[in-house]
Amino acid sequence: MTRRVLIALPKGRLYDRAVGLLARGGIRIPDAAGTSRKLVLADEQGRYEFVPLKPVDIPVYVESGAMDAGIVGSDVLRELESDVYEPVDLGIGRCRLVLAAPESCVLPRGGALRVATKYPRTTERFFRGKHAHPHIVRLDGSVEIAPLLGLADAIVDLVETGRTLRENGMCVVEEVSTVSAKLIVNRTAMKVKSDDIRHLITQLDTVVYEDP
Amino acid sequence: MRTIARAPVRSDVWGDGRLTDLESANPEKPFPECREGLSTFLGVGRHIVHQGLIMGERTIGLPAGFRDLIFDAAERRRHIENQFSAVLGAASYREVIPSAVEYLDLYARGNQGVRDRAIRFLDRDDALLALRADFTPAVARIVAGRLPDLHPPVRLWYSGPVFRKTGRHSAQYRELAQIGAELIGGEPPAADAEILDVALECLVRAGFADASVHVNHAGIFRGLVNSLGLEPARLAEIRSAIDRKDMRALDGRLEELGVHGSVRAQVGALSRCVGDERALEDAAGSLVNGESRTAIAALEGLAAALPRWKGRIVYDLTEIDEMEYYTGVMFTFLSTKHSAELGRGGRYDSLMHEFGADLPAVGFSFSMDTLGECE
Repeated sequence: MTRRVLIALPKGRLYDRAVGLLARGGIRIPDAAGTSRKLVLADEQGRYEFVPLKPVDIPVYVESGAMDAGIVGSDVLRELESDVYEPVDLGIGRCRLVLAAPESCVLPRGGALRVATKYPRTTERFFRGKHAHPHIVRLDGSVEIAPLLGLADAIVDLVETGRTLRENGMCVVEEVSTVSAKLIVNRTAMKVKSDDIRHLITQLDTVVYEDP
Repeated sequence: MRTIARAPVRSDVWGDGRLTDLESANPEKPFPECREGLSTFLGVGRHIVHQGLIMGERTIGLPAGFRDLIFDAAERRRHIENQFSAVLGAASYREVIPSAVEYLDLYARGNQGVRDRAIRFLDRDDALLALRADFTPAVARIVAGRLPDLHPPVRLWYSGPVFRKTGRHSAQYRELAQIGAELIGGEPPAADAEILDVALECLVRAGFADASVHVNHAGIFRGLVNSLGLEPARLAEIRSAIDRKDMRALDGRLEELGVHGSVRAQVGALSRCVGDERALEDAAGSLVNGESRTAIAALEGLAAALPRWKGRIVYDLTEIDEMEYYTGVMFTFLSTKHSAELGRGGRYDSLMHEFGADLPAVGFSFSMDTLGECE
């Protein structure tokens, strides 16, 4: 028995926009907005099943094949180095991943730099590309506070408007990458559930690029 | 002082259907009645739990990423292996059991991703060794070392574990069971058709009546890319975009690189070529370079040689995974019923050359773990 196509939706800041994009592509999820505590949500036509998941878990589910597809930020994808297809850049949740430091701070030269981040692998890759090897401290939240408390000299973190940085007396040193949400697809699902997956890709691609 | 009213918290902590009242649990003896549930769940004997070994000290178990197959699971695997062995034996393939340990250097040849994932250790003289991480290089080493006593074409098959590193807390196993066959010294198109025929026959005999194969040819995309005349660094970017199937990013990058619109249209057309013979006709209609056209003709020839499997063969010209490694036809075996990739294969004519023998080669390999789990 072939199961319906399972799609992971990111809980949190991307959730409403992801559901909105799908709806504009004709894939409406009646229970998406409500206070429903269902774990699995079906679309109107019963073609897809949606599971809201924590964004950082979505590439793990999709790469392993436990979920067929998902919507997730490219920041998480690059950090996990996931081996999945990324057929559509959805253009939602746009922000930048930047290296930032306190305005008053002079970054130490050589290997003494300490960088706090939620993205240790991405940070390491970024500095390796510059032939630098700072000490990377992995944190799970409120990264911008680390320099104030003396845990690190600089941070690598997401910036949308720059307000949080300014409020904490920090400025952008350099952009690491631009970030936006992607549709990701499991490699096997693309083949064995190709009709439904291709429909999903076409609908989202049309909404994003031809009917913005 | 404000107090927060809390509902009594009850939870099925041990997953055995009994609700445990978390609030009133005796702090001296937390969940005493649940220990048996946990020991059963963990598959360790009660006496070990009662000796207090389970929480702090080491129990006798397995490292992460490894497992035992017991009784039914073991018998299922043996059954599949027997079916394969019968089909392969009837087709004149003979078994080899390569060594479980190799020099790490072996994996410098062939599929490059394998070397980085090999589980390595030091020999007595500090030479770098690795647990077997892939069968094909071992088979190539064996065949190259036995020439000229062996008379090509050489038909052989193997079955056993390979070992690969995974990320910490990964969902993947580090011991992967594989079964596969190689035809070394056989020329396309006859050898390609033979190996595909044998592979599909193995799957059907092992109970995968719905098995299908997605077929591609490395020359189709290579021909198109070569006709772009890009330098290697740009080529890697292009390949990465194609590998993620991010067609908009790909088109944008090609445009930045000054690739002509008509050529970009060919790349776009290729990304839609999936399906029956019409997918091949579409590709032939849009690709103009000689190498791609030769490759498309080779796929047409392959299908013509295998009328029995018509309907099982899907042309998927979009898949370029591992294209560095394969030089000709590429196979991905799938079970739609189980939504699973069962195995892969293809032609890798440059591999034997790396072992000092100029012989073409084609083969396939199935994940015995996946085959065993699909019932």
